[in-house]
Amino acid sequence: MTHSLHREGTVDSLERDYAVFIYPARGFNYAGSGPKVMRLMELLFLAGPSNMSVTTLRKNLYSGVPQAEFLSSIKDGARVFSVFSDRVKVVEALRRLKEADEGISIVVSGLVDRAREMSAEVGLNPHTVNLSLGIHGGTDTLPPPDIRQFTTMCGHGLVSPKLVRDVLRKVKRGKLTTWEGSLIVAKPCACGIFNPHRSEEMLNDLSPVYTVSRW
Amino acid sequence: MMIRKEVCVGCGRCQPYCPAGAIVYEGLKSCVVREVCYECGTCRRAEICPVDAIAESPDVFEYPRSVRKYFSDPTTTHVSTGISGRGTEESKTNDVTLRVKADEVGIGIEAGRPTVGMSIRDIQKITRALARAGVNEIEPNNPVHSMMADFTTGDLKPELMGERVLSAIIELVVKRDRLGHVLRTLKEVSKDLESVFSLDVFTVVEPGLKIPSEVLQTIESEGFTWMPNAKINMGLGRAWEKG
Repeated sequence: MTHSLHREGTVDSLERDYAVFIYPARGFNYAGSGPKVMRLMELLFLAGPSNMSVTTLRKNLYSGVPQAEFLSSIKDGARVFSVFSDRVKVVEALRRLKEADEGISIVVSGLVDRAREMSAEVGLNPHTVNLSLGIHGGTDTLPPPDIRQFTTMCGHGLVSPKLVRDVLRKVKRGKLTTWEGSLIVAKPCACGIFNPHRSEEMLNDLSPVYTVSRW
Repeated sequence: MMIRKEVCVGCGRCQPYCPAGAIVYEGLKSCVVREVCYECGTCRRAEICPVDAIAESPDVFEYPRSVRKYFSDPTTTHVSTGISGRGTEESKTNDVTLRVKADEVGIGIEAGRPTVGMSIRDIQKITRALARAGVNEIEPNNPVHSMMADFTTGDLKPELMGERVLSAIIELVVKRDRLGHVLRTLKEVSKDLESVFSLDVFTVVEPGLKIPSEVLQTIESEGFTWMPNAKINMGLGRAWEKG
């Protein structure tokens, strides 16, 4: 699971945050999926994602790896993860993916109302929805919501709250720009769905008002 | 993970990267607190150490410590399932697999998420509560299935009790009319947990991405709310290996 349904933040911020996945199904359409996934990933590249990764490489778009290497790493069963900051780009991506008609599952994670509009615009018939019912249990162990809006962009929990605070502190002290800070926070996310454009916005919003100690 | 003390220069740059907060100063050098570390490998992948002092624990792939690695490092392929990741393909390929049918719901209990992690003992509280409530439809293709010792009691394998993981997902598929029962059970057990879980419910939708009212009413009547964002399978997949 990518946990992408549990991304936290204001609705206004989530309006600029859509994860898009290309996902072959083990035992159903794995065999021969490699070339199809490669074609679909090319189409996602053309639509202008904010970040991207493929399971055969596990490097994100800002790792310095050339796009050609992302594509050449793909083999049967490879899954592609991407994130977009612009609804218009998602519609463009979905239009291209639909036209390609490769038969591989496509998943969009984001605001349901927007996904409904986009489906109607492109002429898609969504099949399944996975709803988030929030966080339960010992919630007093959680970092505060303003930190979680960063950390929940990595579903595997690899973006440490301490790293977010450390970057905030460095941005506040002028040691990093918000974009440099965003790329540092994005790096641990092995799936490439951490949205650095969104986190740059959030660092811009938070750094003037945030007071941090050593951590 | 471990930090080679003879190499470490004590700069502390690795410390904020650890999701578990397991890297601390010991004297003038950084060290990994072994009991706290999830073996997720984030510190090493960050390539932040100026002297390459970070290394894998020598016993990282030895059972039972290996469960930390398999459940916490998404770049590692899980031995029991042969796939990377904590769960199955769940809703992401449901248009092809039809794993959850129109009269069913899928439930994902994402133990330890977001970021907090969970002890196996805490996970066992959930599996035991589900077993007591007669909910034993745990997804066989999910790695948690391989940790079960007794499905009738919900007991996990005793040798795992000292371990903890960054995330593990208990996946269920039940008939829609059982959703309320499962949600009640989870609400009850959540009071006894030290850590947290994120909760997912997935269902086949009606035309126009209309979420079945039966599912929404059940969620609401059990005192839960759904978030404005969700994961949506866009219905573009098809099978060619079967049938």
